[in-house]
Amino acid sequence: MDPPIYYSKAEFIETDTGNKVSRRATIAGPQNIILGGKTIIASGAIIRGDLRRSGPGHAVVISLGRYCLIGEGCIMRPPYKTYRGAFNYYPMKIGDHVHIGANSVVEAATIGNNVEIGKNCIIGKFTIIKDCAKIADNTIIPPNTVVPALALFAGSPGRFVEDLPESTQEIVEAYTKQYYTRFQPLDR
Amino acid sequence: MTPSVQYHCPCLASAPVPPPPHLPSSSYSFHPLHTLFFCEECDAIRCNRCVSVEVSTYYCPNCLFEVPSASVRAEKNRCARNCFMCPNCRNTLTVVASDPPDTGDGRLTVPVSTVGEPPFYLYCNHCRWDSAEVGIVFEKPTGLAAQLQRYEDSAPDSLEFDRLKEHFEPFLRAASLPSSLSSSMAHPGSVVHPSSAAHSHHLHSSSITAAASAALARDIPGVGKYTPSLARSTSARAGRDRSVNKDEMAEYRSRLDITNASVVGGGGGDADVEFIKRVEKISSVASLEQRWGNSWATSLRTRDIRPQRIPLHSKRSKRCPVCTHILIKPEQKAQSVRYKIKLVAANYLPAITVALPHTFPTPETVKRGLGKPASASAANDRSNVALHPGESYSFHLALTNPLYDPIQVRLATPRVHATSSSSGTQEKARRPPFGVSIPTSTFTVAAFAEAWEYDEDEEMYWTDEEEFGGVGSNRGSRNKEGKSKAKAKSVGVLEKRANTTIVGGEVIIGKEARGRLKFIMLVQYTYRSDDPVPSESGEGGGADTKASTNKAPETKTFEFYTVIDLGEIIPTKLDGDPDG
Ligand SMILES: [Zn+2]
Ligand SMILES: [Zn+2]
Ligand SMILES: [Zn+2]
Ligand SMILES: [Zn+2]
Repeated sequence: MDPPIYYSKAEFIETDTGNKVSRRATIAGPQNIILGGKTIIASGAIIRGDLRRSGPGHAVVISLGRYCLIGEGCIMRPPYKTYRGAFNYYPMKIGDHVHIGANSVVEAATIGNNVEIGKNCIIGKFTIIKDCAKIADNTIIPPNTVVPALALFAGSPGRFVEDLPESTQEIVEAYTKQYYTRFQPLDR
Repeated sequence: MTPSVQYHCPCLASAPVPPPPHLPSSSYSFHPLHTLFFCEECDAIRCNRCVSVEVSTYYCPNCLFEVPSASVRAEKNRCARNCFMCPNCRNTLTVVASDPPDTGDGRLTVPVSTVGEPPFYLYCNHCRWDSAEVGIVFEKPTGLAAQLQRYEDSAPDSLEFDRLKEHFEPFLRAASLPSSLSSSMAHPGSVVHPSSAAHSHHLHSSSITAAASAALARDIPGVGKYTPSLARSTSARAGRDRSVNKDEMAEYRSRLDITNASVVGGGGGDADVEFIKRVEKISSVASLEQRWGNSWATSLRTRDIRPQRIPLHSKRSKRCPVCTHILIKPEQKAQSVRYKIKLVAANYLPAITVALPHTFPTPETVKRGLGKPASASAANDRSNVALHPGESYSFHLALTNPLYDPIQVRLATPRVHATSSSSGTQEKARRPPFGVSIPTSTFTVAAFAEAWEYDEDEEMYWTDEEEFGGVGSNRGSRNKEGKSKAKAKSVGVLEKRANTTIVGGEVIIGKEARGRLKFIMLVQYTYRSDDPVPSESGEGGGADTKASTNKAPETKTFEFYTVIDLGEIIPTKLDGDPDG
């Protein structure tokens, strides 16, 4: 029922698995980034796959599931800390059906499936967001916060507001699939 | 705000007629479809306001530990592990060692690691409060709640409460026998009679209330006694009750004299007055928000406020209030989002969405926007969302069938304020500010089939420009010819694809209309039923189920009310309205 969301065909690269990545997004260290398929990276987004754990070989820095959206101007940066005297980055894992609103900064360790993060949020380092949780627009989640499943968090610092409905999983799944279908190219 | 559809839950009201949607109080009766439940037994919609709720799991929202219900009460409903709330900003506190390791790059770091030198303390990542400020340090970084137990137990209020409990102990023991007898006496009567829903509901809730009050009585003697059982016990055992007489209880001596208690900095009094007299910064007085989450009265001084253990959360089962069948039963595991039982209305009722096609971005406007340096989201922004008086607009209703059989749908827009007798005279004086026309004949919505999941199917969405051009052209058109043409085209079934049928409607807004454009829509749908014809005994408290007897296969009709909100009516200055 919702109208299409048009994008300029020239701006986006579509991969074999249906990922749509804006040429105006900054993808640093692409070899360390996994996109699950049908995931959209909007223009102006910055994904720091280059901030990897020190040491030789290949390492997955940021993994995103299917039907995700990294909104315009979002910054995805892996969390870091000094542990036993050694500074290191840690991987960021994001599940399926995760939408992140425009201009949010994410340094989470884990984000589950069917999670909605609003616009202009800051998700602090090592945050763990469980399945079907929701972060309202303009929320500041301090580092190390745990957001339980099916919880709505809002404010600064982000705090529990209410439990989300039992059918959240279905709603978010349908919404993210629909969003991908509505995301249509326009020739110019 | 985008247009919305909400569904009515009669909440066991005798008449299933919804309240007039323009009354602010009506918002309690209308809910988004995905928050509603459906009781198959009663064949009725249920909402969060009318279901009965019971806790199935307790867990800590921070460490996610599942707390056995047996220990919940002993641990005072809060996490007994390592989870504390910042007394200043209520953020979760982190345990840090005395010397956070230096990163060497000269930047300020947030200590995360728990390895390091004792003593350990609690630190807030958000406002930088730390427990050393209030003199709380730990020898080891684990079992903090146990280490803090002495602070909690030595709080004057806590000690006073323990003393009260001790004092009432004999009374409790004397009262426990008759109260348990009388509550068991209430049980035989609580058999559910399906014929009389309201009656059984009352009995059911009264036995629950009795159980709850019995539970309360164990905790807080003399408080929360359920009156009927007391009355029964006085009449039956008048002799015994003399021992329970208030006058015969020993006089309670409080631990602290109330006139001195104020010194401790708690329940107001001279100490607080002295403090307030000397206040220099407003931040040194704790805000209400900082204090009201505490179990006891706390000091007014910000620096006196202690970290609190994090209150537990719960997962809950939900039951139909009439027949007590379970509607929602979550999996035991705290972080699982699956359910053993989940009877949600979205699996029974057609999902309805509403849209105003004149607000849709057209490929042309988007193209223009995409050419500019502004972001693509700005280009896709919905234009012209306002509704103006004296205009007519077409709208689309999309009905999606969740059932595996096709449904026959009939829509109607009953005038709800005409039936409400109380405000009838008032309403008569005012002419309806707008008129709605929707298709009134029956139409079909095809069955849901897994294959139709729009997963891979892109053809289902509008991609051709014709469609937008066609509907968009009658936007704000004052040309009479254009209007009549639009009407013929826009009211009726517009499109069918998969298990969705889109119908068009039209609204004509009067010159004087203001406020939100909301109207009630009655939805009736007929579906094939495998069940035998139900006897008319179970009045579900709202939803009418009529079995049609004439034809095979068996069909059933269900009806429900919705409120359609098309948006705000905003007067246009361009109209040259004399009073605008
Ligand atoms: Zn209800
Ligand atoms: Zn905990
Ligand atoms: Zn704080
Ligand atoms: Zn029921």
